[in-house]
Amino acid sequence: MAKRRISVPVLYAALAGIGGLWLCETAVAFEPSVNYMLQCMGCHTPDGSGAAGRVPSIRSTLLPFSAVAAGRQFLVQVPGASQSTLSNAELADLLNWMIENLTNGPRGVAFNRFTAAEVASYRQKPLVEVRGTRERLLDATGIEK
Amino acid sequence: MSWFDALTEGSARAIARRTSRRSFLGSLGSMLMGASVLPLLPIARGASAAENPTPDGKSPNANDPNACEYWRHCGIDGFLCGCCGGSTSSCPPGTEMSAITWVGTCHNPDDGRMYVVSYNDCCGKSACGRCLCNRNERDTPLYIPFQSNDYDWCSGSSEANIAYHCSTSRIVGVAN
Repeated sequence: MAKRRISVPVLYAALAGIGGLWLCETAVAFEPSVNYMLQCMGCHTPDGSGAAGRVPSIRSTLLPFSAVAAGRQFLVQVPGASQSTLSNAELADLLNWMIENLTNGPRGVAFNRFTAAEVASYRQKPLVEVRGTRERLLDATGIEK
Repeated sequence: MSWFDALTEGSARAIARRTSRRSFLGSLGSMLMGASVLPLLPIARGASAAENPTPDGKSPNANDPNACEYWRHCGIDGFLCGCCGGSTSSCPPGTEMSAITWVGTCHNPDDGRMYVVSYNDCCGKSACGRCLCNRNERDTPLYIPFQSNDYDWCSGSSEANIAYHCSTSRIVGVAN
């Protein structure tokens, strides 16, 4: 009996291990470009230009917003970003990829990159007034509406 | 007729000697039980299965783009446009593709890769009504709206064309 008492928890541990491996297997990590397609493109369209009057274009706002603290918070806290199923590191990579690839003008412009820790610090705070916050940011950064 | 009486009496006594009084109930019970278990045997299910797999192990509909089982439709919820005058990736005449949509991934069994599939709705005519297909791979509940296929994405199309007609499964990229 003593032998059996040991072997049953071992069996459960092994099963839990297999279950954990299976979970890791199913949670596939994608490249930022694929995450853009899966998480953002449905509404923001493939080039980020959105749909006039319904979905705002992100092509002229990503880079200026990333240069100011309130803008960086906004980019992480918009519902589509903060409530996505991505990890903080994946969301940081995705935002960096978007700033690099979906911004009007020349490529390769230097910007302050997002890190997982920075994303984590903003992400827990809900953004209640999305449209109003965006309007204020547009005014503050001097972007044409 | 005495021989018939003797035969009947003899066989009745023989049965009474060989069997117990409750054996009839027992055998009837096992017969009923056996009859109810018979359809569960794999041999019965194999014979009544509507779809027999093809030699390569796939469903016969796996290569038909207008069948719900087709791999590209793994996250669709709607009428397949291929059955409504359009195709898997284009809208039927008289309808307009919604720009706003939901995007998921599907596994292609032929090359083993994951593809990014955009489920754009076709809008502007009343519901097609043919080939309803509701498969929900990677679909999220309504409280995660960005990846839910339960929405009528036609509400994001241009002007007043908000009538839903059918859904496409457009491949927009390779996931891995």
